[in-house]
Amino acid sequence: MNDTTEVTQRDQAALARREGEQSARRMTITPAVDIFEDGQAVTLWADLPGVTRDKLDVRVHDGNLSIEAEAVVPTPANLRLQHAEVREPRFARTFTLSPDFDTSKIEASLQDGVLKLTIPRREEARPRRIEVKTG
Amino acid sequence: MSDLYSGTDLFGEFDRLQRQMAGLFNTFPSSLRASRFGTFPAVNIGATDDSIEIVAFAPGIDAAGLDVSIDKGVLSISGERKPSLQDVSDETRVYAQERFTGAFRRVIELPQTADPDKVQARYENGCLMITVGRRESSKPRAISVQ
Repeated sequence: MNDTTEVTQRDQAALARREGEQSARRMTITPAVDIFEDGQAVTLWADLPGVTRDKLDVRVHDGNLSIEAEAVVPTPANLRLQHAEVREPRFARTFTLSPDFDTSKIEASLQDGVLKLTIPRREEARPRRIEVKTG
Repeated sequence: MSDLYSGTDLFGEFDRLQRQMAGLFNTFPSSLRASRFGTFPAVNIGATDDSIEIVAFAPGIDAAGLDVSIDKGVLSISGERKPSLQDVSDETRVYAQERFTGAFRRVIELPQTADPDKVQARYENGCLMITVGRRESSKPRAISVQ
């Protein structure tokens, strides 16, 4: 038994079995997100409770934005889990990014288990107001 | 970011579906104090010989606004989570609003062996961890045979 993440683990045998079946893909939680867009950027918030910065992986690849994270909850060594609503300590979610966004300028911050991503629009993709001349 | 959501994980999707279904068919009788599946925050409960460990997964909350209390063997966790974006202007487009906002309250019935005078709570990385000690008399002990 792993003594650090016990609270968020399902029984190890079941987990091991599933990993055996499909080693590449583990069971993950789809984190809840808020996504807002204004003229300048898209902002995304994701709930990642128990995740620290070193266990968070935000990646942009081939127009996909993927968020992967692992929660670490310190618990006593000989803990017996009695009730679990969070059964897997892993989070994963992927979004497609339109080419309007400047992926080189993504800002990410993690505070109190909430990830905030700001993805700015490319300069040329920002809305512009076109002056209408009279005369 | 497009609203097209490329599926990450089938099990995660099932989980979401189950949450939605539970919301639709929330009519089955259950314990008076039981809350329905998918309430905020999610809670895990475990026990050791010396304590009862409760973890509430409550990201993005000001620790000062969290209220943890024990009354007659019932532990209650309450607080409020503010919306991620306060000033939503007309130009702001909302693509997803899945995160919980507003006031919440979760109640956990503690076993008889819990000692309400021995409670510790700390908030770290969006997890509220509560440790409730057990009464001395209820701890397992070996009885020596004379």
